[in-house]
Amino acid sequence: MVLVYKSQFYALYQNDAERCYYLDFGHKTVKFSFCQLLALRHKINSISITSHFDASMNKHGFEVLTLCNKSHLFVFNTLEILDLNQLIQQSLLAVGISIPHNAVACVY
Amino acid sequence: MKDIARQRMSISVETMDLLNNQIKMEAHASASYLAMASWCDQNAFTQSAAFFYNQSVEERSHMMKIFQFVNDCGGSAMSPAVGETNHDFSSLEEVFETALEQEIQVTKSIHNIVNECKKNNDYNVENFLQWFIVEQLEEEKTMRDILDMFDLIGRDGIALKMIDERVTISEGEGETE
Ligand SMILES: [Fe+2]
Ligand SMILES: [Fe+2]
Repeated sequence: MVLVYKSQFYALYQNDAERCYYLDFGHKTVKFSFCQLLALRHKINSISITSHFDASMNKHGFEVLTLCNKSHLFVFNTLEILDLNQLIQQSLLAVGISIPHNAVACVY
Repeated sequence: MKDIARQRMSISVETMDLLNNQIKMEAHASASYLAMASWCDQNAFTQSAAFFYNQSVEERSHMMKIFQFVNDCGGSAMSPAVGETNHDFSSLEEVFETALEQEIQVTKSIHNIVNECKKNNDYNVENFLQWFIVEQLEEEKTMRDILDMFDLIGRDGIALKMIDERVTISEGEGETE
């Protein structure tokens, strides 16, 4: 397994033989297909991090995420979500599927 | 290290995001045309109603075109959530003006994606979007031609009736596209 990227709390590895990825959450390592990794990215991008700083919206600052088509359930705090976001962004850059500098404009 | 990501997906995640956003826009356009069709029906503009029902179907077909393209590229197409749709119009002219404005926004958005594709040498997506560029030009022209009729024929009762009778679904448009 090759390390793709390591953030403060997590690490993503690529397994060439199985053509998949392994995400090390510290206490647990989960196997991800590429599609599942995309799905995780989408879930993280959909989180409103500002709600974590507003007690009326997200009182305890936790996010509950189900991963890999509901095979796993995780609870993350604000820092962990930010770190996971960093891990996904940097990993996609490292595997060459994301455009460096991320300067893509969106009109809508 | 194998290039698994590239093997799985032939577009960048940023392009995928832009395309998913475009899916949302086409879905919104479809819903918006349905609201316009309803307004026309309620106000006895039957030809215009038929026109907008057809437009609504067309926009959905645009959405599906992009949706399938994203998945064909190995990306993940997201089923869009359509928010509030405006149902209030003060005149038939306003309906068509809103329609033209909406088409212009879609054109701008398509051009923006093509622009990003050019910057990132994303030839596949640029090529795919060529069809939409031509389509948008036609759509804008269709709306503009109808709006021109208000200047030519007028805005009173009988003029509106005459305009409505002249609003037709042009050949080759609709579901099959
Ligand atoms: Fe469209
Ligand atoms: Fe259109």
